[in-house]
Amino acid sequence: MLTWLIWLIPLLPLVGFLLNVFFIRQERAAGLVASAMVVASFLVTLVATFILGALPEEERLIQSVAWDWITTGSLYVPFAIMLDPLTAVMTLLVTGVGALIHIYSIGYMHGDPRVVRYFAYLNLFVTMMLFLVMANNMLLLFLGWEGVGLCSFLLIGFWFERKVAAAAAVKAFVVNRIGDAAFILAMLAIFSNFGTLNFYDLEHQGQVVPGFLERIPEIAGLTFGPAWQPIAIATGISFLLLIGASGKSAQVPLFVWLPDAMAGPTPVSALIHAATMVTAGVYMMARTEPLFVASPTTQSWVVWIGALTAFIAGSAAIAQWDIKRVLAYSTVSQLGFMVAACGMGAYVAAIFHLLTHGVFKALLFLGSGSVIHGTHETQDMRKMGGLRTAMPTTFWTYVVGAAALAGVVPLAGFWSKDEILAHAVAYGYWPQLIILFLTSLLTAFYMGRQVALIFYGQQRDHHYHAHESSRVMTVPLVVLAVGAMLAGFLNLPTLFSGMPAAHLLTDWLHPVLHEEAGKFNLMVALLATAGAVGMGYLGWWAYTSNAAKIKVGGKDPAYHYTGDLWDGMEQAWYVDVLYNTVVIAPFRGLGNFLARVFDPQGIDGLVVGVGRLFGWIAGGLRQLQSGYVRTYALVFTMGAVLILGFMLIFAR
Amino acid sequence: MVPTAYYILLSAALFAIGVLGVLVRRNAMVVFMSVELMLNAANLALVTFARERLSVDGQVLVFFVITVAAAEVAVGLALLVAIFRTKRTADVDEVSTLRG
Amino acid sequence: MDLALFLIAGAVALIGAVAMLMARNAVHSALFLLLNFAAIAVLFLLLQSPFLFAIQLTVYAGAIMVLFLFVVMLLGAEQVEDTPDRIAWQRPLGLLLGLALLAVAVIAGLRTGTTPLPGGEAVATFGNPASLGALLFTRYMLPFQITGVILLIAVIGVVVLNQRGRQSAESGQATGD
Repeated sequence: MLTWLIWLIPLLPLVGFLLNVFFIRQERAAGLVASAMVVASFLVTLVATFILGALPEEERLIQSVAWDWITTGSLYVPFAIMLDPLTAVMTLLVTGVGALIHIYSIGYMHGDPRVVRYFAYLNLFVTMMLFLVMANNMLLLFLGWEGVGLCSFLLIGFWFERKVAAAAAVKAFVVNRIGDAAFILAMLAIFSNFGTLNFYDLEHQGQVVPGFLERIPEIAGLTFGPAWQPIAIATGISFLLLIGASGKSAQVPLFVWLPDAMAGPTPVSALIHAATMVTAGVYMMARTEPLFVASPTTQSWVVWIGALTAFIAGSAAIAQWDIKRVLAYSTVSQLGFMVAACGMGAYVAAIFHLLTHGVFKALLFLGSGSVIHGTHETQDMRKMGGLRTAMPTTFWTYVVGAAALAGVVPLAGFWSKDEILAHAVAYGYWPQLIILFLTSLLTAFYMGRQVALIFYGQQRDHHYHAHESSRVMTVPLVVLAVGAMLAGFLNLPTLFSGMPAAHLLTDWLHPVLHEEAGKFNLMVALLATAGAVGMGYLGWWAYTSNAAKIKVGGKDPAYHYTGDLWDGMEQAWYVDVLYNTVVIAPFRGLGNFLARVFDPQGIDGLVVGVGRLFGWIAGGLRQLQSGYVRTYALVFTMGAVLILGFMLIFAR
Repeated sequence: MVPTAYYILLSAALFAIGVLGVLVRRNAMVVFMSVELMLNAANLALVTFARERLSVDGQVLVFFVITVAAAEVAVGLALLVAIFRTKRTADVDEVSTLRG
Repeated sequence: MDLALFLIAGAVALIGAVAMLMARNAVHSALFLLLNFAAIAVLFLLLQSPFLFAIQLTVYAGAIMVLFLFVVMLLGAEQVEDTPDRIAWQRPLGLLLGLALLAVAVIAGLRTGTTPLPGGEAVATFGNPASLGALLFTRYMLPFQITGVILLIAVIGVVVLNQRGRQSAESGQATGD
C-alpha cells in the first residue's frame, strides 16, 4: 500500500500545477487549489511517515518504480521514488512549511495580476522539490535539482518588469549552472565506477538493481590522476558533489546569487531561498554520506567551506539595510553551519539544523513579508521603526523567530546549533569551532539589530500607514512560531544522566545515517546561550539607543567605530565585485571586442571582402562581354586556330 | 589530274577570306555572305576528298550542306529584316544590347 | 587541260572572294560572291560532280543570291559602314588571325597526299547523279527526310518572323495615330 501512497506525495502538487496552468483563471481558485494540494500532500506524507515508523528499523526503505526511464547498455535508470527516514524528514519539511507558505501567499499576493501563474510555479516547485528528496537515483534527483532551479529562476524573476528581478533570476541560474556542471560530472563518475545511479539496491521484476551507496568499499583503494599525485576516486566524486552542493546551497564561493534572489516575492524567498531548495545541497550531501565519509580530504574541505561561508555571510548580514538581505545573508550563514556539520560527520545535526532552520527562517521571511506588506512595499529598514504597536502579531512571532535563530535557550535554533558546536568540540575541530562560535554571536547581534530597527524606536518615514496583515497571513506566522518554539525538542540531547532518551531524530535517522546521539556539552551550551543573549541584547540596545542617529539613506551608527570594515561587510567582502572584475569584466571586454571589432572587421570584413573580390573579378570579366558579335567571333576564331594548331603539332 | 593539295589550298584560302570577312566587315549582309563563302570553301574540300577517294558520300554531304544553307539563309535574312525593323540599321555593331 | 581549267577557275574564285570582301557596296559584294560561286561550280564539274554543279548554280547562284540581292535592296543596306569603326583595333587582329588560320589550313593541306587523282574505268562512272540519288534514297534516307523537315521549319520560321514584324509595325502605327 505504501508503494502507491508515496506517489501521491509528489503527484498532488503536480495536479495542482496542471490545474492552475490549464484550467484556473481566478485568483481565489488558484490560491485555494494550490494550497489544498500541498496540504493534502502534507497529510499523505504524515500518514506515510507513520506507516514507515511502524515498520521494523531495517525495513524502513520503501522504493517504488513507476516505469523504466532509461535503459541503454549497462545504464538502467528507473523512474522511481523512495521513502526512507531521511526522505520522510525532508518531505515533511517541504510539504509542511510549503503548505503554510502557500496559504500565506493567498494573502500576500492578493491583487497581483499574475497570481495564477504564481501559484502554478509554486506548485511546480513543490513537485520538483519532492522529486528531488524522494528520488531513488541520482538522475531523478538531478531532474528535481534542475526543476527547482528552473522554478527558482521563474519565481525570482516573477516581477520581470523590474530589471533587478530579471537580472537576479539570470544570475541565480548562471551561478547554479557551475554547480550543476560539477554535479553532472559527479554523476558520470559514479556511473563509470559503480555502473549504477541508484542509491540503494532495488528489486525490480525479479532482478536486483544495485545501488552505489552500499558499494563504497569497492572503490576504497581505487585512485586516478598522475602517478605522483594519486587522487582517491571517492575524493574526486565527493568533491564534485561538494561543488554541486555549493551552487545550490549558496556556499563560498558560489553564494552570491542568493542575496540577489531576494528580488522575488517574499513568500518565494521563504519557501525556496530559506526553507527548502537551498537545503537541497545539504540533503544531497547527507544522502551520499558514505561517499563523503570515505574521503577525509573532501570532508576537511567541506568543513572549511561551511565555516567560511557561515562567517562571511554572518558578517555581511550585520551591515545590510534591506530587511530581506539581512535574512538572505543569515540563510547563507546558517547553510554554512549545516555544511560544516556535514563536514564534521555530524549529518544528523546538519539535518536537524536544516529542519529547525527551515521552520524559523520561513517564519522570519514570512514575518518580513508581513512587514513589507504592512508598510506598502518598504524594504529599507531605515524607513521603518516603531512598528510593534502597528503590527503586534508580526512583532511577537518575529521576535520568536529571531530568538530561535539567535539560539536562545528553549527555542529550536539553540538545540540544533548546540548540537553542531558540541560535535565540533567532541571531535576537536577547534579552528572551525571558533569561527562558527563567532558566527553564532554575529547571528544574535544582527537579529537584535534587525528587531530594533524594525519594531522599536519611532517610525522614521511617514510616507505609509503601517497596518497589521490579514488573518490568512498571520495564522501561518503563529503556526510557524509555535513550530520554532517546539522543533528543538525533536532531538534533545541527554541533558543529565538518567534522563529518558529524547533524541528522536537521531533514532529516526539511524537506519540511514547510522549515528549515535551526540553528547551534551554544558560548557558549550552555556557559552553559546550567554553569547546569544548578550549579543542579541547588545544588538537591540545599540540600535534602540542610537535610533535617533539613523537617517533614511544615512550611514549605520556602527560605521563610526568600524569605518571601512563596515563597507566591506555591507558588500559581503566584495565577492561580487571580485567576480565582476575577474570574470564578468574580461568576459564583457571579450564580448565587446568580438562584437565591435572582430565581427564587423574580421568576420564581416572577410565575408564582405570575398563578396567584393568577386564583384571586382566580375567587373573585370564583364569588360569581355562587349556585346559586339564580331568580337565574339574573333575570340571564337582564336580558339579554333589554337585547337587546330594544337592538333597539327601533337595529334598525328 | 590536278593534285588534291591544290584544291585544298584554294579551299583554305577561300575559307580564310570568309573568316576575315566576318571579323572585319560591319555590314550584316556582307558578314552573311562571308559565312556562305566559308560554307562553299568547305564544300569544295569535301568534293575534292570525295573525288580522291572515289566515295560518293562526300557529295551527299555537300548536297545536305547546300540544302541546310538554303534554310539558314532564309531564316537568317528574315532575322536581319526583323532586326532592321527595330534598329533601322544593318550594322552588326549597333546590335550590342547584350553588353555586360 | 585540267590544270589550266583549275587555275583559271581557282583564280576567278579567289578574285571573286577578295573583291566581295573589299567592295564598299553590298550589292557589288553580292555580285562578286555570285562570281565566286560560279567558279566553284566549275570546279565541282572538274571534280566529276555534275549534280552538285547543277544545284550549286540553281540553289546558290540562283535562289540564294537572288534572295541576298533582294534583301539588300529592300533594306537599303548597300552602304552602312560610313560611321567610324568602334572596334577598329580588331582589324589587324582579325587579319592576323585569318593569316594564322590560312597557315594552319595550308600546313594541314600540304600534309594530305599530293598524288594525282586516279583515272580509268572506275573513275568514269564515278559521281553521276544516278549513283548519288541511289545513295541519297537508301543509306541517307533519314537525313534526307530530316532535311526536308528543316526546310519546312525554316519556311514556317520566316513566315512567323515576318508576321510578328508586321503586327508590331501595325501596332506602332496605331499608337502613332
